[in-house]
Amino acid sequence: MDASSNGIQEPFDLIRLSLSERVFVKLRGDRELTGVLHAYDGHMNLILSDVEETIMIVDHVEGAPEGHATVNIAKRKMEMLFVRGDGVILVSPPSRT
Amino acid sequence: MSFFGFEQSNDLENEKRKFLERGLSGANQEDVAVYTWGEESYDGLGEALQEGGDELNDETFGATGDIGKDFDFSGTALPEHEQPTPSHAAHLHAEPPQRQLSQTPQKAQTPSHVEFSHSSQLDAIWGNKSPFSVLPRSNGSNRVHDNLATQPSKYASTVAQASPVNRPPSLNLGPDLHQGVHTLEEIEREMRAAAQAQHRQQQSQLAEQLAPQSQQQAQLQLQQQMLQQQHTIQVHGTHGLLQSPSRTQVQRPPTVGSAGAAAVGIQHAAATPPPRMHPHSQSPRFHQQQQQHQIHLLQLQQQQQQRQLLELQEQRERHERQQLLELQEQLKLEELERQQRQLRMQQQQIASANELLHNQLLQQRGISPSVSDRGRRGGVGRQSPAIMNPPIPIEVPFAQNMQYLPQNIQMQQRLLAEMAQAEFLSTMQGPGISERDAREARELQEMLRVEAMRKIMEAERMEEKRKRKLDKIAHMSRYNDLMTQSDKDFITRIQVSQLVTQDPYADDFYAQVYGAILRSRMGIATSEDRVLRFGSGGGVGLGLGQKIPAGRRQSALQRMEAQVERIVSNARLREKEKASLNSLQGALGRTSGRSYKAAPRQLLQVDASNASTSPTTSHATAAHISKQDVSVDGEGAAREAAKMGREALATATDGLVRKDPLTHRESLVILEQLYDLVLDIEQRRRDQPPPEEVEAFEEWTIQCESLIDQLFEKLKVSVPLETSNPHPFVSLITPIKGKKILPRVARLFDNTRMQILLTLIVACFSQLDVVQSAPRLDTLEETQEIKDLETQTQAFLSSVVQSILPVIGRAQMRLVTGLFGILLESNAVAIARTRPGIALLTLFLSRVEILRHAAQSGSDVEEPPTAEEMQSWQMMYNLLFDLLRPQLHLLFPSVRLSLLAGVSFTSIPNADVIDQPVWQFLSTLALHANEEQQQALVTGLREIVLENVASATKGYTDGEESRRLRLANVNIFLHALGLDASQINL
Repeated sequence: MDASSNGIQEPFDLIRLSLSERVFVKLRGDRELTGVLHAYDGHMNLILSDVEETIMIVDHVEGAPEGHATVNIAKRKMEMLFVRGDGVILVSPPSRT
Repeated sequence: MSFFGFEQSNDLENEKRKFLERGLSGANQEDVAVYTWGEESYDGLGEALQEGGDELNDETFGATGDIGKDFDFSGTALPEHEQPTPSHAAHLHAEPPQRQLSQTPQKAQTPSHVEFSHSSQLDAIWGNKSPFSVLPRSNGSNRVHDNLATQPSKYASTVAQASPVNRPPSLNLGPDLHQGVHTLEEIEREMRAAAQAQHRQQQSQLAEQLAPQSQQQAQLQLQQQMLQQQHTIQVHGTHGLLQSPSRTQVQRPPTVGSAGAAAVGIQHAAATPPPRMHPHSQSPRFHQQQQQHQIHLLQLQQQQQQRQLLELQEQRERHERQQLLELQEQLKLEELERQQRQLRMQQQQIASANELLHNQLLQQRGISPSVSDRGRRGGVGRQSPAIMNPPIPIEVPFAQNMQYLPQNIQMQQRLLAEMAQAEFLSTMQGPGISERDAREARELQEMLRVEAMRKIMEAERMEEKRKRKLDKIAHMSRYNDLMTQSDKDFITRIQVSQLVTQDPYADDFYAQVYGAILRSRMGIATSEDRVLRFGSGGGVGLGLGQKIPAGRRQSALQRMEAQVERIVSNARLREKEKASLNSLQGALGRTSGRSYKAAPRQLLQVDASNASTSPTTSHATAAHISKQDVSVDGEGAAREAAKMGREALATATDGLVRKDPLTHRESLVILEQLYDLVLDIEQRRRDQPPPEEVEAFEEWTIQCESLIDQLFEKLKVSVPLETSNPHPFVSLITPIKGKKILPRVARLFDNTRMQILLTLIVACFSQLDVVQSAPRLDTLEETQEIKDLETQTQAFLSSVVQSILPVIGRAQMRLVTGLFGILLESNAVAIARTRPGIALLTLFLSRVEILRHAAQSGSDVEEPPTAEEMQSWQMMYNLLFDLLRPQLHLLFPSVRLSLLAGVSFTSIPNADVIDQPVWQFLSTLALHANEEQQQALVTGLREIVLENVASATKGYTDGEESRRLRLANVNIFLHALGLDASQINL
């Protein structure tokens, strides 16, 4: 099926498909979210439920050679989350295996 | 010269008085006058003033000795002095020769004496009005001359300087005098000459007297007197005496008789020709004076230079003085004392300045510095330096203090008040009668005082508080009434205009639906939408409506509503008016464009008809996905038709057009379309026209029907089962929103369609995600996947099963048996181990039981099950029972879990909850079971039942809740068998 027959006319239509589905959201500041998308708007503000946030904390070790930084990952979970659109980089359906 | 004004006012009167006191009679008394004048009445001004003037006089006069008429004016102020003139006229005649002859004052003495007596007589006649009323000063000048006489060579210039200055105040020539033969000027000259002569006499007398006296004293006097403005006459007299014979001879030969008197004036004229010089006075001597001019030219130039320097100096001094005066004015609060002090200071300054001048002059003349020093000392010495000097430094800080005064005053007042209070209190305490009484009284008063203080403090605090409050209010009310009512209305209009939409219900959808749910829950039957509709199709959603308890907010809300309504109606009214051209009548030049539509310009001008970017797309504007689809349908109709034909053909030929199952994305896309359709249909159902409007109603019905057809078709329910695995419909209900749409769809579909749907579900039951992945739920792990699966299962049970429940509830025996058979065709055991499967089986079994019960009781069942149907059902049941019988205990999730985990099923957490559906299923199973089957059930489940009861009764459970639930579960099953948990004895 081509895009037009899908009724996909604009990027937001793709996001619409993911409504009430689990999505992967990449945010600025090395943060990632997975959660169920409940609502969005033109600013890409999102409302997610059952969210798990993954925060990458890059620690530059003193004296370590360039590019050898340790990455710590912090995770937290939230039942319901409002994501402000200006932080959103990417919204995608989670990869299916 | 510039100081003339200063002195006259003060000194003239004084001196006149003194002169009169002294009497006109004697020049002898002059000595006395000198001293008094020098010490008491002398204010130091005269000295300074004369010095300044002297310089200029020196220049103007020079050696010429010619007095210009420009000096006349100064004397006119005192008309009294006219009188003596005639008397002196004769005396003047004698003067010139005298000058020529006399080198020293002593020589000139004799003739002047003679004339003096004469003049004194005249004075007696004229009384006070003699020009000598200002005489005291003349003494000074006399002395000067005396003094200078000792140094004749340098004296001439000095005298010349001093003389014109002195003259003006003393010589006051009134116009009355000129009535005589002489011209005014001549008379004046005569007058002057007379005065001169007189004073010369006096002077000479003085000189005689003083001569034996010590040189020092004479010098001192001289210094003082030189600075006084005394008569020119005297100066001239001495001048004449002191002048070198050669000079005087050159100058004065023609000055004989009356004309000779003019010599003095002419001297002036030669040096600096006065502007007001009369031609006739000038003419006779002019040529002679030309010579003089040339002689004195060099001298004059020198003098001019000097004068310029002096003027500069003087200016500076004046400036300083001015500044001082300004300072004085600033300190207006000063009292007389200070004024006096200042005056003195000023005087001193002037004096000192003059001293400087004097010094210079003296130096020029070669006078020894000692003399000038002395003079200065004399001037300064009269006022103590302590008085003189400090004023400035003292006064300046005071002036600074003055600026702080207002604040200080407040402080002082407060302090005073406090002090007064303290005093008052202390006096209140007063002297005690006895000591004890006093002490008591004091204590009492102390208490009172404390009390009073406390009250005062409190009052102050309150006051403070009140003040702060007022301040705050004032602060807040700064912007009160900044906006007029019309401004506020204007803003409200803007806000409301943003709220008005074409479809108020859809735009307020969630609030509306939520409100409807709330209302139905609260039992308030209101089918009305909480929407404010306007005639032109617009409207404003009003949200939930008044659920808020009465109070301020509610009234505010009501007010807002009312206001909105008012504004909208007004706007509509205006719109209507606008529409009709009549409103423009008489509105020439007053028609505003569209000012009331103050909505901001939209950033994005998107055509509303084909754009629905937001997920809250209003169904009124028809989501484009469904639209698009329609159009696609239209476009690719041929293709679709061909495909469908092939499919039909395939079915006909007993073949299948096998298709790939719908991908996840495809199903999502279809689901979105489905949602659009559902929303559209729901909206249409809300917009149902009243049945009275037959046409509209019919049209509406047809539209709805077509939409529902579309919906049904899109659900792919009627697609052959074998088209794909999983079936497209199963794919559609795989996403959670697919499951959730079913109840909404179910309301729209009629029973037939729902039966088809049910059949499809049952037929494809094993394909369902929730069934297929159900075994994975038998785990104690808590992964995201499990959780999602759990959610899906819950969604299936709550949505799908709930939507098919009414269908099964209405299903006939035949259908149930048929579905049951279909279900058993697939892997029944596996299905029975899933929650959806258990639920479905339970539904069927209970429905059959109800049907059977109804048939037995002979109640009004539409289609009582036939014996045939019952038989087939029994067959089905037996089949199921036989399938389940070997592993009855595995139906329980807790048991499966315990097997997996290797622990007792009773210790599986939450076992009672997850086992409950199974107990219910078993109870329904037991209802249908015959004796043998029941026995089998009991034996099969005996262990589990016993274990559960034992754990429950012996209190191995987590709590009372769990224990009760466990017993209830067991009892559900046992009751079906006619037993009870309590009968079980352990």
